Amino acid sequence: MNVRACCLRLLFVALTSLAVGQAALADETSTSSPPTTEQVQITDPYIELHTGPGRGYPVFFVAAREEWITIEMRHTDWYRVRTAGGKVGWVNRRQLETTITAAGGAKTFRDVVLDDYLNRRVQLGAAIGRFKSEPMLKLWTSYRLSDTISVEGTVGQVQGLYSGTDFWHLNLQIEPWSDKRLSPFFGVGFGKFKNYPNISLVSAVDTNAKLANASVGLRYYLTERFIIRADYSIYTAYIADTRSGEYRAVTAGLSFFF
Amino acid sequence: MHTRKLALTTRFATGFIACLASLAPAIALAQSTAPEQKAPNEQVITPEVDRRDIKMPRFPSNDFEIGVFAGTYSTQNFGASAVAGLRAGYHITEDIFVEGVLAQTKVSDEDFRQVLPSGIFTTPRQKLSYYNLSVGYNILPGETFIGAKRAKATALYLIAGVGSTRFVEQRRQTFNIGMGNRLFLTDRAALQIDLRDHIFSLDLLGKRKNTQNLELTGGFTYFF
Repeated sequence: MNVRACCLRLLFVALTSLAVGQAALADETSTSSPPTTEQVQITDPYIELHTGPGRGYPVFFVAAREEWITIEMRHTDWYRVRTAGGKVGWVNRRQLETTITAAGGAKTFRDVVLDDYLNRRVQLGAAIGRFKSEPMLKLWTSYRLSDTISVEGTVGQVQGLYSGTDFWHLNLQIEPWSDKRLSPFFGVGFGKFKNYPNISLVSAVDTNAKLANASVGLRYYLTERFIIRADYSIYTAYIADTRSGEYRAVTAGLSFFF
Repeated sequence: MHTRKLALTTRFATGFIACLASLAPAIALAQSTAPEQKAPNEQVITPEVDRRDIKMPRFPSNDFEIGVFAGTYSTQNFGASAVAGLRAGYHITEDIFVEGVLAQTKVSDEDFRQVLPSGIFTTPRQKLSYYNLSVGYNILPGETFIGAKRAKATALYLIAGVGSTRFVEQRRQTFNIGMGNRLFLTDRAALQIDLRDHIFSLDLLGKRKNTQNLELTGGFTYFF
């Protein structure tokens, strides 16, 4: 009897908690989107309001400790705030870092500063280099799936003297020591080449070919948002059923996190 | 008789153990749900904290920009022509931004046709289009005064990048370097003037050489 009662009680508790949890979940999803402004209380001795989002713009107003301000907008590391007296100006993140929210807690600015860059997922970069001794330019964007694995999409152009090539490829990138400042990475991928001759060349035809590539490179984490990267790739172009071409490319470039 | 008694005892014992075993989880459960013994240093007052429902605000930001521009592009040896284009950018920090530009102009070889009736191009006017990716640095942020009472934020920037120019069916790698000035009308809109040198090689006049192509444009930019 005791066992049964216990079981029943447990079952009841489990069911009710599940129901409550679901109700809470439904409640959470049904409410409106998060607010776009926030009231915070200044904890620094004073904050300086600039006329524009940058240290070069003049300070025109100073708000003192314990005053309440409203944060309205962000431009890079600068926030547009409105004081209780109605003054509107731009304040650097550093002066707002210790401010207190209406809820009494310290405001976090994690949407801008991330001590751990691994939490950032989307990266955009560009690089220039040599593709079989001809100048090339590429633009890539990558999405980090986990600490060590990311997918990367690249579009590029080889700007040769007699012919040019447009290409794109998708790569899977492995970065085994991604927590290190200087770390190697490896990638493999597939994509497409489109080769077009410059007009000075007679009787040349455009070629379209699928490509596969393998690359190895080095990444150096420069500062908060920036990364330098160099890589060496081998491209194989499947020109025809029985013919394929192999090209080597070296590039170096800069990328940043969103 | 003796053996029978022993067997009975054994059976009883087994039954008891089985019963105990079946009850064991029940006892465990009962123990887990029963009020636990009070710790000696237990809190006397339990604060009734009513947690606030906090939603982190998402401040609107304006790190991205998109714009249109028009101006004049002077192609080395071929004179100046009107140029128009689009730009899109992202401001990474208050100092550094990246920008991509797509623009085109029509270049004429009219001047050559005075002495060479067949001209240089196959048709008198040829399209020149370019794209580039550049990195800019806001070197002089400040204010511009319009009259005595009104001041607008401005930023003078240096910019350099790489891209490609397509001209007379040739695509050439192009480096660009220049400077510009941005005048913020509001927090989201700006007027922009830009002076840029596009450097690429051409062999249209018989010999391949680097050309300097200067461009001066004015435009409108929207930040979002």
